[in-house]
Amino acid sequence: MRTSSDPAGSIAIEARGLGKKYRLQGRGRRHDTVRDILASAVGAALRGVREPRRPAESFWALKDVSFQIRHGENVGVLGLNGAGKSTLLKVLSRVTSPTTGQARIHGRLGSLLEVGTGFHGELTGRENIFLYGAILGMKKSETERKFDEIVAFAELEEFIDMPVKRYSSGMYVRLAFAVAAHLEPDILLLDEVLSVGDLPFQRKCMDFARNLQKRRATIVLVSHNMFSIKSMCDRVIYLRGGRVQFDGPTEKGVELYEADCRLSAVPWASHEAADWPIAITDVMVMDEAHAPRAIFDHGERMRVRVDYATTRPVDAPNFVISIVRSDGVACCCYSTELDGIVVASSSGRGAIELLTPPLALISEHYRIEILVREKGFQKLICAQGGGSFHVRHPMLDTHFGVFHEPGAWELEDGRRPATLRTIAMGAGS
Amino acid sequence: MTAAALSKPDRRPIDIRPGRSLGNLELEELWQYRELLYFLILRELKIRYRQAAIGAAWALIQPIMAVAIFSVVFGHFAKMPSGGVPYPIFAFTAVLPWMYFAEAVRRGSTGLVSDSDLIRKIYFPRLLVPLAMVAAPLVDFAAGFVVLLAILFFYQVDITIYILLLPLFLLVALSLSLSVALWLGPLSVRFRDVMHVLPFVIQVWMYASPIAYPMAIVPERWRLLYSLNPMVGVIEGFRWVLLRDGHPDFRAIAISCVIISACLAGGLVYFKKMERSFADVI
Repeated sequence: MRTSSDPAGSIAIEARGLGKKYRLQGRGRRHDTVRDILASAVGAALRGVREPRRPAESFWALKDVSFQIRHGENVGVLGLNGAGKSTLLKVLSRVTSPTTGQARIHGRLGSLLEVGTGFHGELTGRENIFLYGAILGMKKSETERKFDEIVAFAELEEFIDMPVKRYSSGMYVRLAFAVAAHLEPDILLLDEVLSVGDLPFQRKCMDFARNLQKRRATIVLVSHNMFSIKSMCDRVIYLRGGRVQFDGPTEKGVELYEADCRLSAVPWASHEAADWPIAITDVMVMDEAHAPRAIFDHGERMRVRVDYATTRPVDAPNFVISIVRSDGVACCCYSTELDGIVVASSSGRGAIELLTPPLALISEHYRIEILVREKGFQKLICAQGGGSFHVRHPMLDTHFGVFHEPGAWELEDGRRPATLRTIAMGAGS
Repeated sequence: MTAAALSKPDRRPIDIRPGRSLGNLELEELWQYRELLYFLILRELKIRYRQAAIGAAWALIQPIMAVAIFSVVFGHFAKMPSGGVPYPIFAFTAVLPWMYFAEAVRRGSTGLVSDSDLIRKIYFPRLLVPLAMVAAPLVDFAAGFVVLLAILFFYQVDITIYILLLPLFLLVALSLSLSVALWLGPLSVRFRDVMHVLPFVIQVWMYASPIAYPMAIVPERWRLLYSLNPMVGVIEGFRWVLLRDGHPDFRAIAISCVIISACLAGGLVYFKKMERSFADVI
């Protein structure tokens, strides 16, 4: 491949026309065991005809993906489920080879596509650090040199000689990230790994990523967490159906992504979306006076109007409006069932509206998910994204927890204390 | 530009393309990852007997048990001839290389599947998996060999200079098991049937090798065909250097070596061709 007009060597990753075709599983002429092959051969022989050769059903997980990433750039890869984000990282990290196109990578490549693969449960933390380091391409001497640093970063000093099968999932994640981070790669590919682990550790990972940034390392990050994308990346590659739909500033890319997320099936349930009998056709976020709004002050009330259509009658649906913070924390939900509202069996088109109590949420960005369950909390029959909103407050942020509401205080002698000052509701207005 | 200084000048860019030219075995890269081979072998050794009450003692007990059973069934009941040496020694000299071979084939062929998580998510030269799996049982072999030496000492069999030839025969066994693993490994990624068929293959192969019986009982006219089984040469070789029992059929060994070399070369090419789709089908 030509090193296209790059005399200074500033290109870290160059991809041209990358495509990846997968054969669909369980359909077409895919045989997993010799028995299947024999069975179909015998079947064909008995019927006395050769099965007509159907073309194998396949789909392009990636199609004609081209981009250049310079050293020192942090790029977020966005897209709905199945848009090809993970496939792209797999191709770039050489786990799988592309069907078409090519890519060239300049520099030491580190990738963390899934936390903790490469660990062996029976081995101790210490043994796993060396094994995993070697898998990632670290020299033994290098691992030895960085060993103490890795252990300190993972905060596992006391447990380092314990088999990792006895680790909690948090400890596991910390150790895996610590090793990968100390690879000191020029280019680091991360797939949804910053969103695991507890919040303090996530912060630590972000700090670490920022340090890499100072060294002019390049990070390519796949995440559903807009908070990490926004805080780490200046540029976003937005994939839709395996193609690059947008490549540019983060703000614009995230907007596109969020627009696509609106009304699309939520990632964790999207595989069953085809069977849902009910679909959300529109979601409106409004203030008390029915005016569309995207920013609310802490303490204001919010209206959410949900329009839906059913393909078959749904018996006593339970509508749930769930509020999820930008870092993925599910903060609260409002449910017709819990609130004692009986929605009669519905068919055809309909709408339902929620008026929240004064929002107690801290200052952050939130998205709305609409879930519908059949009869109480049984079978999930719909789960779609429903847009997003901000809550404003001059002081209350994640350090204060998920929400804030005033408490009633009493002193030991039973008197009520004199009120000094209350955090005014809606102080930002 | 400062960025240029960041990537070390000696580091060649990584090229990612759809296909690879056949015959490019990327041995250079394999060499870069040699320490991973060491750690994979170490992992195999460490996990093998961990959380077993008597741990690595199993490496000794397994061949001893096998020899004990053979001695009772074939030596005592069936009165199998053993070429003038006590039957237990006769059996042990064959069980040891055989157990190494069977274990190397078994682990070498199934290693890719048992490391499927790794293969799905992390890039490293895939050849290291069968290499490590074939190398790891050498340690069990070494432990068993110490027991064998003790038994030889007990039966007052002299050790001669011929023992220096032993590594050669072991190398033949290793190459053979690697060549089998290179073919069956990628096949088992695609067809799990391999894992079910393998125990039978190994069992049949065992009876087709002079382990419980001497080669002398194989009819003369079948001898050449029989010795095309490379393990025949290995086992006869072991008996020859340890017990000076008979002399190896060098013609058969030469043929075996040619067969093994061909399988090994073909296996390498096949493995490299198949490895590109491991992550997609495993």
